[in-house]
Amino acid sequence: MKAGMLKVEQVSKRFERGAGHDTLADLIADGFRRLLGRGRKQSNPDASPDSFWALDGVSFEVHPGEAVGLIGPNGAGKSTALKLIAGIMRPEKGWIETRGRLTALIEIGAGFHGDLTGRENVYMNASILGMRKAEIDRKLDAIIDFSGVEAFIDTPVKRYSSGMQTRLGFSVAAHVQPDILIVDEVLSVGDVMFRQRCIQRMRELVDGGALLLFVTHHLEQMQAFCSRCLVVDGGRLIFDGGTAQAVGRYIDALKHQQGYLTGCTEKQIARVTEFCLRDEHGKEVLVADAVRPLDVDVAFELDRSVANLAVEVDVRQEVGTVLLNFASVRDETAFDAPAGKGRVTLSLPSLPLAGGQYFWRVLLRDGDSGDVIADTDYRYSSVVEDGGRTTGVLCLPHTWTHAEEVPHESNVKLLRATA
Amino acid sequence: MSDLPHSIGTCDRRNSAQSDPVAELFRYRHVLYSLTVRELRIRYKQSWLGIGWAVCVPLSMMLVFTFVFTQAVQLVDGMNINMPYALFAYVGLVPWTFFASGLNGSVNSLVSNRNLVTRVYFPREVLPLSAIGAAFVDFCVAGSVLAGLVAYFHYLTPWSFELHAAVLFLPIVVVVQVVMMTGIGMLLAMANLFYRDVRQVFGVAIQLWMFGTNVVYPLASDGSWAARCVALNPMTPIIGAYRDCLIYGRLPQAGPFAYATIVSVLLLAFGWSCFHRAGYQFAERI
Repeated sequence: MKAGMLKVEQVSKRFERGAGHDTLADLIADGFRRLLGRGRKQSNPDASPDSFWALDGVSFEVHPGEAVGLIGPNGAGKSTALKLIAGIMRPEKGWIETRGRLTALIEIGAGFHGDLTGRENVYMNASILGMRKAEIDRKLDAIIDFSGVEAFIDTPVKRYSSGMQTRLGFSVAAHVQPDILIVDEVLSVGDVMFRQRCIQRMRELVDGGALLLFVTHHLEQMQAFCSRCLVVDGGRLIFDGGTAQAVGRYIDALKHQQGYLTGCTEKQIARVTEFCLRDEHGKEVLVADAVRPLDVDVAFELDRSVANLAVEVDVRQEVGTVLLNFASVRDETAFDAPAGKGRVTLSLPSLPLAGGQYFWRVLLRDGDSGDVIADTDYRYSSVVEDGGRTTGVLCLPHTWTHAEEVPHESNVKLLRATA
Repeated sequence: MSDLPHSIGTCDRRNSAQSDPVAELFRYRHVLYSLTVRELRIRYKQSWLGIGWAVCVPLSMMLVFTFVFTQAVQLVDGMNINMPYALFAYVGLVPWTFFASGLNGSVNSLVSNRNLVTRVYFPREVLPLSAIGAAFVDFCVAGSVLAGLVAYFHYLTPWSFELHAAVLFLPIVVVVQVVMMTGIGMLLAMANLFYRDVRQVFGVAIQLWMFGTNVVYPLASDGSWAARCVALNPMTPIIGAYRDCLIYGRLPQAGPFAYATIVSVLLLAFGWSCFHRAGYQFAERI
């Protein structure tokens, strides 16, 4: 098998803001403006405020048998990067080199037409994705089988549910046998079982020597699947390396992008201004080690002094129950905090959670009245690295011992009797 | 894996601006085929008459024009066409319908396949070409009805038909027409992508163009300004060539046909090179 290859070098892509074209109405309005001496100033397109760089000098290389994740905040340039690699758009600067059959799953079931039957759409879609008719004929049964929509394969897809369309679409793509597979956030549809099968199929392709570039916002999925990860933010590649650190950088990028640290709603007299995790050396970490001591550092600002300040910290996954809850009030601890800036540190001997992404919430209460004076909701996020110690929910420190047991006299007799 | 064509999707885009569009199109010919099939399937899905509509359009227009020119105003006597007017009109209307419907499909081909243009890579030329391909299938179906029409007039009217070797020239006429349509189709598809006005203008222009072509009337030879305009129209020699080869049994006049051929080739070269050069913008500007 000839190996695929993907090399991206110093690629930049510029987009225009606005409609990107003039209508006749614009032209007439513009003519009048010019007539009145208020013509639009023509500026250098490079510096024009109407254009921006969606990607700016991005370089990376992916090798055969490698599954690489691509993450970043919305609008960071991920989809643009994939479209450039797929050849749908062309970069303004830099070059992209690909070798081997490339399949880009930027939209599942591209070109599916509602009036055509499932089978007709399979033929059409597969040929757009690069399969020949003979190859489709050979794989048709496998494709239909994988999709799980056998019963409706001769029904027009307009009568399908969106989940069924997605399954059929992915099923086609999964059988293309690409050397380079590009997947853009398409697995979020479909049920859990189907998603598992997709992941498994992608795993098979990668193990078979294909290279995979994978965009998703499901960080768990990413951590389970990709050993290497690229982080883009504002059109630049800001990290290229291990997935756990990459996820940390991604979360960091999110904080900067969204003014992440303004935990303020009306009537609340306090604001959490900073939230961070520190390791035992006091160094800020984005990836927490499950079995090492950890400090949770909360900085806040009070509009007035609070004599009896209570702090509460919750941890959970993206959705679901609260896994950990620390409340100073239940520990019979309260702080006498003056107006202005302050800081509270919660020290933990370890953070006994399985590897993954977690979300933190900080609550400040006025202990006298019980009123919540600041609530960050689950706005903060961190990654826990457990070194692959568990597949469960928690990761507790533990040891194993082994001793050989001498068979009991009576058991031996019993065994003999039955034999 | 060994039987898979590895050339597919293989492209070093380092030099893509210089890449050969013809070779790229050839590599993706199977996509052209399946998009053409898709086009036809969609067109005749949930339709009782199905592909029969390919015959109905030129046939009904033939009946209308036959009625107008032979019954309503009786202009036919002055036309000097040496064949039944219905046959004359049908031989003009079938290639014209091919021309108009192929171009109409091309105009919308990029815009109506927006999700393909923005999400999948293949040479964009495939889209207008598949519209022309689908129209070509209709053309063949409609053309085959001509045999019945000729038989009718041969056996049931005083007019008689003779097949000549000139009919062998017909494929060349078709090729010239397809070349012209491809050139114009690419220009229109691209223009409509940037300015949707093109679609509106096209609807009117193609009607006017039909009456500026010798589709339902013969080319006058009186040297009037109108006749000269019609003669300048590159579709005129092509429609005339169909009648020459099929009915009159003679080769088309060399001068006008060479003119149409040259215009067609120039249109294709110009249209395709514009299309290819602008192609990389399609996904952004659509």
